[in-house]
Amino acid sequence: MTAFRPPSRRSILAGLAAAPALAMPHVARAQSKGRIVVGTWGGDYARLLTKNIEQPILIPQGWEIVQDQASDAPRRAKMFAEQRLPRGTSDLQGLSGSTMFQMNDAGLVLPVDYSKLKNAANLMPSMKYPYGVGHIYSGMVGVYHPKLMPTAPASYKEIFDPKHGSKMALIDIQYQYNLTCAALAAGGKAGDIELGKKLLVECKKAGMRIYATNEAFAQALKTEEFALGVMWRARVVQWQNAGIPVESFVPSEGALAYVSGFVIPKNAPNKDGAHAYLDAMLDKSAQEAFAVDMGYNPTVTNAVVAPDLNKRIGFTPDEVKKLVDLDYDYLNKNDAALKEWWDKEVK
Amino acid sequence: MTDLATINPAPTRREAGALSAGALIAPATLYVAAGLIVPLLILARYSLNRYDPRKMMVEATTLDNYVKFFSDPYYLGILATTLRVAALTTLACLLLGMPLAYMLARTQSRFKNVLVMLVVLPLFVSNAVRAAGWMTVLGNKGFLNAVLLKMGLIGTPVEIMYSEAAVLLGIVAVNLPYMVLTLQSVIEGVPRALEEAAFSLGAPPTTMFWRVLLPLVMPGVLAGAIFTFILAMNAYATPVLLGGPQFKMMGPLVFGQFQLNNWPFGAAIAFILMAATMTLTSAAHLAVHARRRR
Repeated sequence: MTAFRPPSRRSILAGLAAAPALAMPHVARAQSKGRIVVGTWGGDYARLLTKNIEQPILIPQGWEIVQDQASDAPRRAKMFAEQRLPRGTSDLQGLSGSTMFQMNDAGLVLPVDYSKLKNAANLMPSMKYPYGVGHIYSGMVGVYHPKLMPTAPASYKEIFDPKHGSKMALIDIQYQYNLTCAALAAGGKAGDIELGKKLLVECKKAGMRIYATNEAFAQALKTEEFALGVMWRARVVQWQNAGIPVESFVPSEGALAYVSGFVIPKNAPNKDGAHAYLDAMLDKSAQEAFAVDMGYNPTVTNAVVAPDLNKRIGFTPDEVKKLVDLDYDYLNKNDAALKEWWDKEVK
Repeated sequence: MTDLATINPAPTRREAGALSAGALIAPATLYVAAGLIVPLLILARYSLNRYDPRKMMVEATTLDNYVKFFSDPYYLGILATTLRVAALTTLACLLLGMPLAYMLARTQSRFKNVLVMLVVLPLFVSNAVRAAGWMTVLGNKGFLNAVLLKMGLIGTPVEIMYSEAAVLLGIVAVNLPYMVLTLQSVIEGVPRALEEAAFSLGAPPTTMFWRVLLPLVMPGVLAGAIFTFILAMNAYATPVLLGGPQFKMMGPLVFGQFQLNNWPFGAAIAFILMAATMTLTSAAHLAVHARRRR
């Protein structure tokens, strides 16, 4: 047994000398390239950012990554609140296509310097926004329960049909997409929201169901509470993997695109780090891993997705061409009013 | 020569006690002031601002957000639903809680502590988890429908989920332990001899309850009712999970506005909810005290 020996004067002095280094971790990080603070949703997405981008690419390069996890509304509020500060608290914010537009419209976002992104050469032109970079995308496809719908529908028009009554369902939190899908189903364009409103009211009167969340929608589809609706193709793949009997199809009007990307706040403390993160995010290996792990499509053309997986998550070149974007400008200006209308008339 | 003690008298024992009591309650008071009052003041200021989708919030001094709420039947309807659910929850908790609390208070069983623990046990589980449990019971293919179908009492599943009944069921289950524990502690303070005296004078149990027990436990009834009412008024997880998107209460409405980043309107709704809750609980308190004075 080792007997306790009081520390010597020499060892105490050595300990005191080392103490400031422990108290100031930035000294220990002097070798690192710096810290990148990434605002992101929590859950699987945050975990996969770490697994597919940060750990394999950025950390070995010497970057320190800190994730600021929250849903997008509080993170956007934080961007608004910090706009007058010379140095904000985040270097990147993960947002959807429409909220990236909103933040840029509010003047809070730095234009992306694509010359700093070597992987940008492979970025799909539709994902190359001046104010942000599309990370992954999917499309709003038609979904149906094969047992309850022996004849598969083929268009938004066939889904948003009042004849289905309570066999049709939508998800509350996707009101912007529901309104746009209904506009397309009514024969209009993405911005013809008034057409969509009219059709939604008819469907509602016929008994259309509304579920609070994606998970509640999936659970109800599983228990055959309804037969058809719309959902992101990536999510449908996850449900199929979980054993939920659901089939999907790309609507003939063109699937409504969902883009998840990143913007750099104007007052980001580490703009070089933010660009390094964006570049790593577009790396072939990271993009391929996200397709496998999450079911979303790569936004770079050099990513290779296995044919069987691509059949489930991907879109043909024709379908990609037909992808429809939300009318970001209209939604940005009218979001609160549209939500109020949705709550009053449809929910 | 003037005695020093006369000029600077030493604090009496009572004064010293008051000083140390003040020192003891100061940290909690400061904590509440910093953690509750300051944010409330900030929120009150926000409620007078204006919403702008491009700027989120524009500084202003306007009552527009309050006017919008009170001039729109949609929002008034949500307030009315919330008040109705809170009132029904309080009533149900009182009716269900009183016999249970009485039994717990009067039992001589050596398992009394176990019984009290059984009442407390649900509080160990969060509201959201309990609501999730109810979802598996009340769903179309849930336990209840499966049993009713198996027994041949129904031909097709009864839709209980996403209704006011489901929300009431969920909130009552959440709030009932608070009511039972409050009532039990007050009933235990009422000597059993008073009830026996009423019985010996020929009062039947109902008369004893109305004329002897209830007046004596009224402070507990009031405390339990206020507690339950406030919790029901501010319910969030249960209405969202069991009521679905169509069933609207004030808590989820406030959250929805903050999700839209419409902080001014969200703040105004929060204040309206708080004011309604405080007004009604104060009114109940005053009414009961006035009745007791008579």
